[in-house]
Amino acid sequence: MSVFLSSLGFGLISAAVLAIATVGFTLQFAVTNVLNLAYGSVMINSAFVTYYLNVHAHLNAWVAMVGGIATGAVASYLLNRFVFTPFQRRNLLPITIVIVALGVDLCGTFGLQAIVGGSYFSYRQSLGRELHFWGMYFSTLQLTIIGICLVVMGLIHWLLKHTRLGKAMRATSANPSLARNSGVRTGHVISMTWLISGALCGLAGTVFAMNTGVFEATSAQLYIVLMLAAMFLGGPGEAYGAMLGALTIGVATELSAGFFNPQYKEVIAFVVLLAMLTFRPYGLFGSEKTI
Amino acid sequence: MSVELSTPGQVLRATGVSAGYDGRAIVQEIDVEATPGKVVSVVGPNGSGKSTLLKALVGVVPVLGGTVSVGGTEITNLPPERIAKLGVGYVPQIDDVFPPLSVKENLEIGGYLLARHDVAPRIEAVLEFFPRLKTMMTRKAGKLSGGERKMLAMGRVLMLSPSVLVLDEPTANLAPLVATQLLEEYIRGFADHGSTVLLVEQRAKAALRISDWTCVLSGGRVVLSGAPRDLENNPVFVESFLGGGAARH
Repeated sequence: MSVFLSSLGFGLISAAVLAIATVGFTLQFAVTNVLNLAYGSVMINSAFVTYYLNVHAHLNAWVAMVGGIATGAVASYLLNRFVFTPFQRRNLLPITIVIVALGVDLCGTFGLQAIVGGSYFSYRQSLGRELHFWGMYFSTLQLTIIGICLVVMGLIHWLLKHTRLGKAMRATSANPSLARNSGVRTGHVISMTWLISGALCGLAGTVFAMNTGVFEATSAQLYIVLMLAAMFLGGPGEAYGAMLGALTIGVATELSAGFFNPQYKEVIAFVVLLAMLTFRPYGLFGSEKTI
Repeated sequence: MSVELSTPGQVLRATGVSAGYDGRAIVQEIDVEATPGKVVSVVGPNGSGKSTLLKALVGVVPVLGGTVSVGGTEITNLPPERIAKLGVGYVPQIDDVFPPLSVKENLEIGGYLLARHDVAPRIEAVLEFFPRLKTMMTRKAGKLSGGERKMLAMGRVLMLSPSVLVLDEPTANLAPLVATQLLEEYIRGFADHGSTVLLVEQRAKAALRISDWTCVLSGGRVVLSGAPRDLENNPVFVESFLGGGAARH
């Protein structure tokens, strides 16, 4: 029972990080039609910007995190503007964009490794006090990450349901041509989506690095498997599905790590992904590509 | 129609328009003019290029030759969002609503170009016109019936008080009674209140009943045009589109 509860605790933290990452990832896919497999490399590069601001510029880690968020937003925007959009304009097959994204991911990750080397890094940050709830153990840092996740999910809900931009994002996702005929400048909406989802990517990279404690340039390389599993579980392009998918995958992978072997975490996620693709390719919530 | 949903019409004019995909013209050298207070219909067999013509006029399909203007302003190949801003409302044949968005959200997107404080009063005005939508504001558009969905599609377009309405087969997949009501009550009503209406319609007889002018498209070209009464007396038109003598009644 204690293994179960402690694993469940770890699962909630993993789910919080994964939810931030997956919601950004699925927003990009839904609105821009790009399955951005370079998301993990933008995450880890953002985490390193936070690291340099924290360790070398001596900023508090939470303040430095703003730099990581900005890096994710700007890098994602530029990636769309100068890489994905030119390819999309040529009306190539969607798989071409996926391959391009994969190439960008490799360049981003191993380019970073070429700069920072193969060493491990960690933020100058205290984990805080350890707190116990119903057999689960959390540090103050971990609870803060869960809190950040809840705030971010609330903000995303507010954005999508109650703002003009959010509704335009959903309309663009559902039918870009009709959105334009209704007066929506979809190009602007897509740029804003890259900035917002990129900011989530930068935030996810930083809290991912905070949560793992030590990280290196290639730490987020397999994270894309968890994000894909969470996204497909909830339904591709479904922001709310991504939240539930992240919770399920986060808890499932940590429980499997608790009872079996931590090295199989990505394998469990991959099995879930395969099962969803086989039996319900639109996920639990999705019936088509929507948010 | 007690509610003023559209603004006084403007002339929509296509002159020598050729349009199509990947540089290949589907419609060629089309001249058509829709004027305020009138319904101009475009009829023709499947694949004659009717929908492509409308899409070219509203910026969805590239115009390869010729010009399009509205109210004297050239709009050839302008982005669809700018054409919408100039008062041209377009209802496509299919994919005419945003299925995952609620009815209210669809109307809000229809009013995207309005000032924030104008959106709610405009929704009220549209609901006065389509009262049936009032009871389904929170329902997702994808869950509506064909008739309700078409009302929503029209309501979405009316949110911007368009001066020109471009409608692509609005009665497709509708029950005959609903189709008749839509054409004779609503669409004819828009024109009677001064709007410009350009309509593509598969039901030629029904289109003629509400039209002031009709163009017949075949093979991507206008092969006939005239007032409905003249066309109804044209044996070629009657034979080809109205099913022989039956249409004379």
